[in-house]
Formats: sequence, C-alpha cells, structure tokens
Amino acid sequence: MVAYVAKFDDLEYNILYMVEFERLKQELKKINAEAGKIRELPVEERAEFGRKVNEKRREIMAKMEEVEKALLDAEIEPIDVTAWSGVNEPMPEFYPVEMGSMHPLMTELDRVCDIYQLMGFDIEESRQLDDEYHMFDTLNFPKEHPARDGYDTFRTEEGFIPPAHTSTMQHRVLKKYKNRLGDGKSIAVVVPGRVFRNEDVDATHEHTFYQCEGVYVSEDCTMGQMLGILREFFENYYEQKLNIRTQPGYFPFTEPSLEFMIEKPKSLGGKKGDYLEMLGCGMIHPNVLEAVGIDARKYHGFAWGGGIDRLVMLKYGLPDVRYFESGNLNFLRKFN
Amino acid sequence: MKISLNWLKRIVKIPDEVSDSELIRLIGARLVEVEGVIDETHKYDNIYVVKVEHAEHIPDTHLTLCQINTGKTELVQVVCGAPNVREGMLAVWIAPGATVPASVHEDAPFVIGRRKMRGFDSNGMLAGADELDFGDDHSGIVEIDPNEAQPGDLLADVLELNDLVFEIENKSLTHRPDCFGMIGFAREVAGILGLPFDTTSSMVGDDYLKLSHTGRSGKKVLAGNLLDAVRNIRVKNSSQNMMLQKEQRSDVLSINISNSNICQRYTAVVLEKHGEIRKKYLTWTDTVLSKSGMKPISPIVDVTNYLMLLTGQPLHAFDYDKFVAVGGGKQATINVRLARNGEKLVLLDDKEIELNENDIVICSNDVPVALAGAMGGKSTAIAEDTGNIIIESATFSLYNLRKTQMAHGIFTEAITRFTKGQSPYQTLAVAGECVDLLASGYRVVSVEDNYAELNQRVVVKITAEEINGLLGTKYDSELIARTLLNVGFEVVRLKSGLKITVPEWRTDIHIKEDIIEEVGRLLGYDIIEPTLPLHGTAEKNSMWVLKKTLRALMAKLGANEVLTYSFVSGRLLERAGLDTANSYKIVNSISPELQYVRQSIVPCLLEKAYMNQKLPVDRFAIYEMNKVYRKEDGLGSEQVPVERVSMGFVLAERKNKDTAYYKAKKYVERVFSEFGIVPDFMPISNNYTEARSYDKNRAAEIWVKGEYVGVVGEFKNSVRNEFKLSQYLAGFEIDLDKLMKYMSGKMSVDLSEREKRDLTIATSDTYGKLVKKINEALEQNNAEAEIKPIGIYQPKEADKKNISVHLEFTKYNEGIMQILEKL
Repeated sequence: MVAYVAKFDDLEYNILYMVEFERLKQELKKINAEAGKIRELPVEERAEFGRKVNEKRREIMAKMEEVEKALLDAEIEPIDVTAWSGVNEPMPEFYPVEMGSMHPLMTELDRVCDIYQLMGFDIEESRQLDDEYHMFDTLNFPKEHPARDGYDTFRTEEGFIPPAHTSTMQHRVLKKYKNRLGDGKSIAVVVPGRVFRNEDVDATHEHTFYQCEGVYVSEDCTMGQMLGILREFFENYYEQKLNIRTQPGYFPFTEPSLEFMIEKPKSLGGKKGDYLEMLGCGMIHPNVLEAVGIDARKYHGFAWGGGIDRLVMLKYGLPDVRYFESGNLNFLRKFN
Repeated sequence: MKISLNWLKRIVKIPDEVSDSELIRLIGARLVEVEGVIDETHKYDNIYVVKVEHAEHIPDTHLTLCQINTGKTELVQVVCGAPNVREGMLAVWIAPGATVPASVHEDAPFVIGRRKMRGFDSNGMLAGADELDFGDDHSGIVEIDPNEAQPGDLLADVLELNDLVFEIENKSLTHRPDCFGMIGFAREVAGILGLPFDTTSSMVGDDYLKLSHTGRSGKKVLAGNLLDAVRNIRVKNSSQNMMLQKEQRSDVLSINISNSNICQRYTAVVLEKHGEIRKKYLTWTDTVLSKSGMKPISPIVDVTNYLMLLTGQPLHAFDYDKFVAVGGGKQATINVRLARNGEKLVLLDDKEIELNENDIVICSNDVPVALAGAMGGKSTAIAEDTGNIIIESATFSLYNLRKTQMAHGIFTEAITRFTKGQSPYQTLAVAGECVDLLASGYRVVSVEDNYAELNQRVVVKITAEEINGLLGTKYDSELIARTLLNVGFEVVRLKSGLKITVPEWRTDIHIKEDIIEEVGRLLGYDIIEPTLPLHGTAEKNSMWVLKKTLRALMAKLGANEVLTYSFVSGRLLERAGLDTANSYKIVNSISPELQYVRQSIVPCLLEKAYMNQKLPVDRFAIYEMNKVYRKEDGLGSEQVPVERVSMGFVLAERKNKDTAYYKAKKYVERVFSEFGIVPDFMPISNNYTEARSYDKNRAAEIWVKGEYVGVVGEFKNSVRNEFKLSQYLAGFEIDLDKLMKYMSGKMSVDLSEREKRDLTIATSDTYGKLVKKINEALEQNNAEAEIKPIGIYQPKEADKKNISVHLEFTKYNEGIMQILEKL
C-alpha cells in the first residue's frame, strides 16, 4: 500500500490524486453496473461471479482509501523546518517544570542500580529480544525440559524469545568480564531490564515487567557472601536494618537455589514476622560457568534476580501493577 | 499439591516441642514454600458417629423416621431421606447448630437446625459423603465401621479430621519427583528436623520399598526371570503368595517396549477376580483422598490413587478382558510405542483426541488403548461388571509427556507427577502394594516387569571443606554425614573425605554442588552467617548515565516519562504508516493487540496521547526511552536481532493554533545541547523507518556530523486522523546510541563582556540559509557572534518575511552591523 502511494509522492500535485480518485470512482461504478448481470447467469455460476465482483470492489475501495489518505496528507502547508518558530507566531516555550514527571519504575530502577554500583557492581542492561541459547541453553536447562515451561515465554516466528528473565544476560556478562578473574579480581555485575511472560494480566500480574539480575564470581566466594550482599542492598534501599530469611527454591542455573525474603520494613507498615519474598538466588551452577570457559573447580559464583515492579508498588502503596504501562497522566504526573 | 498434616504425622513422628507453626516455618525455610494452610481443625465440630436404633418408614414419602443413639441416654429423632438408612447401622450425625462441612468455604455456610418435616421433629441430619466433603456421592448416607467407632464418638476423632492441610507450590519441586509422594515428603520433613527416617521399614506397615532395590543390577528381567520378579511381590496373605507362585502363568500377558527412551520401565500385574470388593464403610483412605484434592470414585481407582499420593508413582488399571478383546488376541500383549500421526483415541472422559508422533501410547497389540502417563482410554475402562484387571506401574519419558500435556491440555495428578521424572526403581514395589490392597477381591495371575538397563546409583565424593567453602559454614563431617544419612543417602567416611551414594529416588543429584545444596538446605540456609566481600565502587555505565541525565532534563522541561508495551498490534503499525513485515511477529501472543515487536517508540506514544487527550489533559509532552527491533536491521554477531535504544517523544495540545513542529524542535535542540551537540535539521528523505509517520513538508531529519540520528516533526494528516488527535501535534525519535557517540562532556563558558545587537532582515530565504549567510558575513569581516532567534514576522500582503535575531558578539568590529543589515 505504501508503494502504491509512493508513485505519487514526487509529483506533488494534488490534482493528480484527484484525477486518480475520479478514475477509481468510475471504475467502481462500472463494476457495480456489471454486478447487476448476475441475474442473467445460470444459478451455479452466480456464486463464483459474485465472489469475483466483490473482490474487485474491495480492491478498488482499498485503493480509493489510499488515494484519499494521500490527498489528506498533501493538504499540509510546508514550513521552514530550520526556523525556531512559525511566521507571525510567538516563540515556542517548554512546558513548565510543574507539569513534568519521571516514571516511578525508572526512578526506582535507577536507585537500585546506584546502590549496586556503589557496592562495586557494573551495570549491563538486558536485551528485550533474545534467543533460546541465552534464555535456556547456557543456563543449564536441559533441552525440552519441563522447567522451560515454567517461564511462559513468548516466541517470534523465527524462534527468538522476548526474555522471561534477566538471567538471559548471565552468559554474556560472564563472557564479557571473565578476564577479570585472571587479574585476580571478581566479576560483579547487575543487569536491569524489561522481561516478558505470557500470562493473564490482573492487578498483580503483568505480561511486561522489570527485573534486576546480579552476578558475582570470584575464587573464594560463598553463600554467606551472597546473603551479605543482598542484605546490604535491601538495608541500603530501605534505609534501615532488616531481618532476612531464605527458603529453598529451584532454578536449573543455580545449585543450591534459594528464595530470599526480608522482613517487611516499618516504613511500609510491616509487622514483626511479616516476610516479603524479594528474589530468587543461588550459587551459579558449574555448567553455567563452564559454558563460558570459567574453571568451575577454581571459581565459584552466585547470582540473583528479582522483580522491580513489586518493590515500587510496595514503596508507593500502589494497588495495581497495570498502572505502570498505562501511560495515564493522571497517574504519572503524581511523580513530579 | 496438598499435604495433610495428620497423614504426615502418621509417617514421621514430629517432636512435641515443634509446634505446627514452627513446622510450617521450617518446611518453608528448608524444603519448599507452603503457599497456604487450610485450617480444618473445626470443620467437623459437632459431628458425631451415631447408631440408628429404630427406623420407621413414613408412609407416602421417601422419608424414614429414625431414633438415633448419640452416646447419651436419650435417643434423638431425625428424619432421613436416604434409601440406605437401616436399624443397627452406624451413621454420621450433623447435630443442630453444626455447619455442613461441604459448605464451610462457601459465602454462606449451611448451618443445620431443628425443623419439622411432614409433621415430625427432625433434629440435625444424617450425612452423605458429599455433605461431609468426601467426594460427590449423594446416593445415600455414609456408614461407619462398627470396629472403628462407637455411638457418641466425634467423627473427627475417628477419622483424624481435625487437620491442617498445606498447599505446596509445585513449581519449586520441579526437580523433586520423590516429594510428590507422601513418603518422600515425610522423609524430607524428618531430614529438616534432624531425625533419622527409615524408608525401608516405616511405611505402609511393611518393608515394601526394600523391593525398589531389586532392579539395581540393571539386568533385564524377561520371561525367563519372571519368577524372580514374582518373588519380589510381597503379598501379605501367605497362602495366596504360595498359590501365586504355583499358578504363575506365562500365557496371559506380555510387554514390549518399542524404545527404552520413551519408557524406562513397565511393570504390569494381571489380577483375577475372586470376590466382590464391596465398599461399605467410609474409611480413612476416603478422607485423605479428599484432603489431597482428589475424590473417592471406586474401590480399584481409589487404591491406585491412594498409592500414587503415597509413593508418587501413578498406577493405571485396565479391564483385562476388554484389553484382550480390543487387540484381538488370546492374551494381553502390551505394546508401548510412539503414536502415529493421525491415530485416534477416545479417552476416559469421552473426548476423542488425535494423536501425534510425540505421544506415547499403550497398545493392545497395535491398537492404542491409553495415552501413556496422561489418561486411560474408554475401550478398556474399569466398569461395574469388570472381572479381571491389569495394574500398570511404569515410568515414561518426561519430555514426551510434557509435549503431550501441552498438545492435549491434560493436567491430571498422574501426568503432573510423571513430568517431574519419577524414578523407575519403585514400579514393581508399588504394583506389589496395590496387589496387597486389592487382595480381598483379586489374586495375582501373572506379573511382567520389562525394563532396559537402569542407571547405576550415583556416587559423589566430597570433603567438608568443599561444602563449607561454598556455603560459608563450619560444619564437621560427622554432622554432614548424619544429615545425609537421615534422608537415605549412604555415606562412607574415608580419609580423603566422604563417599556418598545417592538413593534411587533422587533423580536430581549428580554433582558435588547438588550434595552441597542438600547439606545447606537440610541444616538451614537461615543459619548461614551473612558476610560482605570487600569491593570498591564500579565504573558507571555510560548509556545508563545518559538516560538518567535525560530523565532529569525532560522532567525539568515539563515532559512526562511513560512506559508502554514492547508489543503492538499490526493495526497500530499500519496506522502509523509502518510496515508490519519489518516487525518480529510473536506466534503465541496474548492477543492481536500484542502481536508484533515494536520498531519505534512514537506509535505507542500516539496511542497514549489519544487516551490522555480524552481524559482530558489539555497539553502534554510524553516520552519513552526503550529498546526497539527491526527486521531490516538484521542479526548481530550473536545471531540475535540488532537492538536499538530509542527515545520517542510526542507533544499534543487541544487548543493551540501555532505550529507544533517548532516546539518539538526546541525540545530536540535542548536535548542535544545537554550533551554539547548542535544538530542539523535536514529535509526528510524516504530512507528511515521511524520517519515514515511524519509529514515531509513539516518534519526534518536530525543529523550530527554527517550522520543521521533521528527525526522530528508533525505527523501526516492521515496518521493524525487515524489516532484521532487534535491539530497541534508533533514528536521526535532519536537513536540514543548515536547521541552517546557524539556527546561531549565539555562545557564552554565565556565570561567576557559581549556586544549585543538585534538584527531584522526581510528575506524569502529559510532561517537556516539566513543564519548561514550571517555567519559567512561575520567570518569575512573578522567577527564572531552567537545568534539567537527573536521572531519571524510577515506583514499582510508582503512577499517577504522579517526575521529578527539577537547577536551576542564575542568578536566585534565597527561597521559589521551595517554589513549585516544589507544582507
């Protein structure tokens, strides 16, 4: 359709569009007249005839619509695009600062990354279209394993995957930073990003949401260090001392695997014994390290990943996760 | 999965000092998340076992007038409508004031009272199984075994009904097929309490799981070894056991597995009916089936379901005679094979499904009679008149079953267990247990057990140092050994460390890290001391910093940051003048609204602009920074689609009559100036995807140092119409990677005094050309100035416009203004 209009683009004459439009109108008339002949045909041929006529009719009407669009677009008056304002118009002005706002999800994601960065973590943003290799294969998911189902992934026609977790970047960041290990340093990276799950949307579930992944590898790292870093992060984030808790989890790419919880901070109205599940974590599976060429007998690592949306909902007391991608300014302008 | 605490306590002795809430906490911390706890401790309050002393039919009704013994001296009168009520039976009485158990979770629970029926006082009711929440049976009232209870006993005491039922999150046990049986779950509970658990002797009364070791050698048991296999079937009734061996017949059953990859082991037992299993009494088994989320159906099915809940091993029962008839032979020939595309099978639920070549089917000769692991077939279903039966106890490829589950939408308790990868070691033993439980009506005729080589038990060698090194703990090897022994590992302490032999049911343990997980988990991750590795701060990610800077800037300029979905409809792309063929298409999208990966940000913003204009918000500027993908960009070095980081911006007002382009351009210039860049605004070509929505006469391409970086302008009328937006509308889209490429951190500050002059020139040139002319004139006359626009004015009927600019000279010379004024 675009190609059809493009023929006229360079001609710049509205008149040509009009001529074309008139021609199409005549053609349509002719077809309509022809359609009347259907009664003269034997019954068995009528269906086929009718189908053909309708097809032609649709074709012409589509063309007419395109020409009409082109006519509409050709009505626009040219302006001087190098100027600062229109002729006889006041100079444009920015909107006042009171109208401005930042998205709360992005503000919090920034804060999360700032804290990690000060703790020594590099930041690598996650991709939004990836493949099976990064999403599953390099993370020690056996081929066709049911654990892959748990992620409710979307797929493109080509088999690409809008990632269902930021762990899709683990293999890449390990590869990118693995030389550091040789220099006696550690790998410490966090990966914020947007992820996708094919699930029904309601007040607490979105098909599109944000996660932040952490990866740490060194010669002498322990699970105790992982718990220490996570506690440190959340204490920084909530600006208070926190009790933490864990429970066993299962992820093919970590061994052991845990769920990490914090006691609900007082600032969020938490009571004693009220625990919030914040993220999944664990010691990186040797297969994941070996897939990058890191000697898993010499080096160990841990990784974690958790959602950002819920963190923000808790912080601002938001009842519905769907607000975030609503684009509704009545909501967004509250974050001035 | 639902776990009854009372059932759990039957299998593992929980120390008194561990309260129920502490137990729940420990299970959560060391085994799996307890998602919820259903409190049934008062569900059966005021419900009693009673004896029907007198029963008298009320004429012209279906009702019976009963006098019941409730354990007190006085009899109570109840009118009962059930056909099976009779004098002398033990029944269940819901006393006046008690709630019908099946209704306790409803919005308005049904409380039983006293009332008159046909003129007779009726106090409370005699209950059927459905009212007690034990299945759907509504054919009569339940009867209690007089050996188990006396009139006046609380039903809850007789059947252990004051219970807590744990709701367990299945997903966290994906790798633990053993925990999908009560025995396995109880073993773990013992482990986390630090208690030894003797799997081989504590279970159903006897040492049935010992039998699971018979296949350890991995030798093939075929017809010749049949008797060996039969000896391993433990049958409590010893006379039957003798008979079984004498009468073992080889002409009733044979098993062929076409490929051991799809079925590692298939055990089948043919049972001959010698008596009716009459189900007379409500039993404890009925109640645990119900508490576990299943329901009593028929004696044979109940036994197979109960054993599945107990052991994790699903069983299936076929009608033997139907099985033989369907296959058209003289004996049952079981063939386990992959289905052929297009083969059809009618399942137990009467649905006919079309099989595909991934489905595993159980065939009688070559005729499919069951969808393996998922559901039995109609043609061999157990019915009222069934005589002989086949009990199947097998394991199937979890990969095939996973696809079967998806292809046919079958999510039974059985397939849920099979797709976790049940261990093939216990099939024979569980079949034996089934034979036992059916012994009152069936005797064994034949046993077949067909399997290819079974895996050797895994042996892992590890040291306490390795375990402590990864966990950050100080456990000694004795504690480690004891912890593992408790849950069935064999541990030998060597000088070099621990040699650990993994039990057969732990199909998930292969490497050291798996053992470390066991130790860490069973002893509790929560007792590991958190520590911090020393670390400096990291370098900043420049794209992240760029975006952060932009967010702060845009907020200051009154713009609103939005986030919109990465997936859009084909229609949205078309409305914005984009080609759907350039977008990656999602094959399993939630809806047509979310079918394509977006190519640019602005179309999403136009959609949101419409929504906001309708709210109404009179004027706004919204923007988003996010990733976009286009097929035209091809694949990158990792063979994944090339990614762009794009900033889209749209401003819209309902009442403004000015040219929106200039406001959008002002935002663009401000964005670039933040990073020390002055971009050029060039006429629109037809080369760039994101520019297709814009009107070529009222939009410009943004170029920096000879490279295209984005587009700014007003949209085509057709696009604006499609989005139903007001006239004052413009936007831009810029490539942030390119912005980053050209940004400079340097800020030039000039504190010297400046000559300031205003200049107005009448011209028909564009502003850009005029500025160019001014700059040339300045240069030729050895002057330098910063040019700032003031306004453009065109009097009515004049053919030239007057452009006014403000000049701030950093190099000034006398006479320059006269030269400029002549331009």
